[in-house]
Amino acid sequence: MSRRYDSRTTMFSPEGRLYQVEYAMEAIGNAGTCLGILAKDGILLACEKRITNKLLDEIFETEKLYRLSPNMVCSVAGITSDANTLVNELRLIAQRYQLNYQESMPCEQLVASMCDVKQAYTQFGGKRPFGVSLLYAGWDHHFGLQLYQSDPSGNYSGWKATCIGANNAQAISSLDSDYKSDMSLQEAIPLAIKVMYKIMDQNKLTAEKLEIATVTRTDEGTTEMTIIPRETVAELITKREQEIAQETQK
Amino acid sequence: MSIDEYNGSAIVAMTGKDCVAIATDTRFGVQRTTITTDFERVHKMGPTLYVAMSGLVTDAYTVAARLKYRLNLYELRENRPVNPKVFVSMVSNLLYERRFGPYFSTPVVAGLDPTSGKPFIAGFDCIGDPTIGTDFVTDGTSGEQLMGMCEAFWRPDLNKDELFEAISQSLLNAQDRDSYAGWGAQVYIIEKDKVTKKILKARKD
Repeated sequence: MSRRYDSRTTMFSPEGRLYQVEYAMEAIGNAGTCLGILAKDGILLACEKRITNKLLDEIFETEKLYRLSPNMVCSVAGITSDANTLVNELRLIAQRYQLNYQESMPCEQLVASMCDVKQAYTQFGGKRPFGVSLLYAGWDHHFGLQLYQSDPSGNYSGWKATCIGANNAQAISSLDSDYKSDMSLQEAIPLAIKVMYKIMDQNKLTAEKLEIATVTRTDEGTTEMTIIPRETVAELITKREQEIAQETQK
Repeated sequence: MSIDEYNGSAIVAMTGKDCVAIATDTRFGVQRTTITTDFERVHKMGPTLYVAMSGLVTDAYTVAARLKYRLNLYELRENRPVNPKVFVSMVSNLLYERRFGPYFSTPVVAGLDPTSGKPFIAGFDCIGDPTIGTDFVTDGTSGEQLMGMCEAFWRPDLNKDELFEAISQSLLNAQDRDSYAGWGAQVYIIEKDKVTKKILKARKD
């Protein structure tokens, strides 16, 4: 078929496709879901943890959420080792900007810089693209709270609510109907649970499988990422299950 | 005229009981001319970690900025605030990288260990030799005057108010004997759960 055009990352196929980039996105389509919702008073990131073996030693605070700089946070979906490399690079980019300008790097600029790096892997060098999509959540004094998404092609866009990873199309259509522009974080959290519940395949949604964090601005003028404690997540899931039971009874 | 005396400064850090204090003068001058009298020499590196830089101001700024760069990356990767001992190693490493073309600025570190709350102070030379102090550390063009004053005023286990008095009197009287430092003073008292900044009125000459 067009197999001869897909082993070179830097070649177009006759139909004008970059197969390696598409294959990278396939890899991400099998990875744990990440959901992002922009509320008027904060940003919510909800991630599905795929690795939940009870023998795992929980040394790290989070599996899929990373702080990039004092004003930005990201969540990843895809090949974890690729994600670590990108997160390291993002942290360096943000600090270099801070060193040069003595100011926090604006969110879009950080995303765009990283995407320029990712794009390079689709055009030259002969190396495969990164098999990671990222959701970036942050604040800057130009545009306030912002949510961005980037993928292996190096494309990025700003979103009010979006999803990456497994079943992301289903999640996005769900968000399409239920998201309201001036939602508060308090309304966004149950919405995230509702969407995650719907898309988590046959596997039952439990608090161990979910990592939820909110990104907010404090009164002192700093940006904080707060990870919602497991007990609270468990309560929210139970609440959602009760709602579903009531709906099916009617 | 040596490069260390081009701008002038007075810096002192002292330990107390479960607290540390760091104080500097606020004169920014170019040789004999005074340019501003509200110059900030102290930089916050963490909730209970402060650094004050003496010497050439441009190098002081650069070292502080480079230090913050390394510190931010450390805290992001390690997911915890830095320990003062480790910070001292970071400072030392940064300064020694310029062994044969050094930064003409020396830092003074003052802070509390984030877990134990133990007081910690340290001083350096311009190529990074660290001296972890037990009582006080002084620096700047009034370094020697400060040494003498601190020796007279410091006692072990000062509480935060006694510490404030001791460090303030040491600084004000030492900087009065130095024409390149003075025109105001700032004192930071660092305790486990709060940091207080006090601005002192000094001789305006």
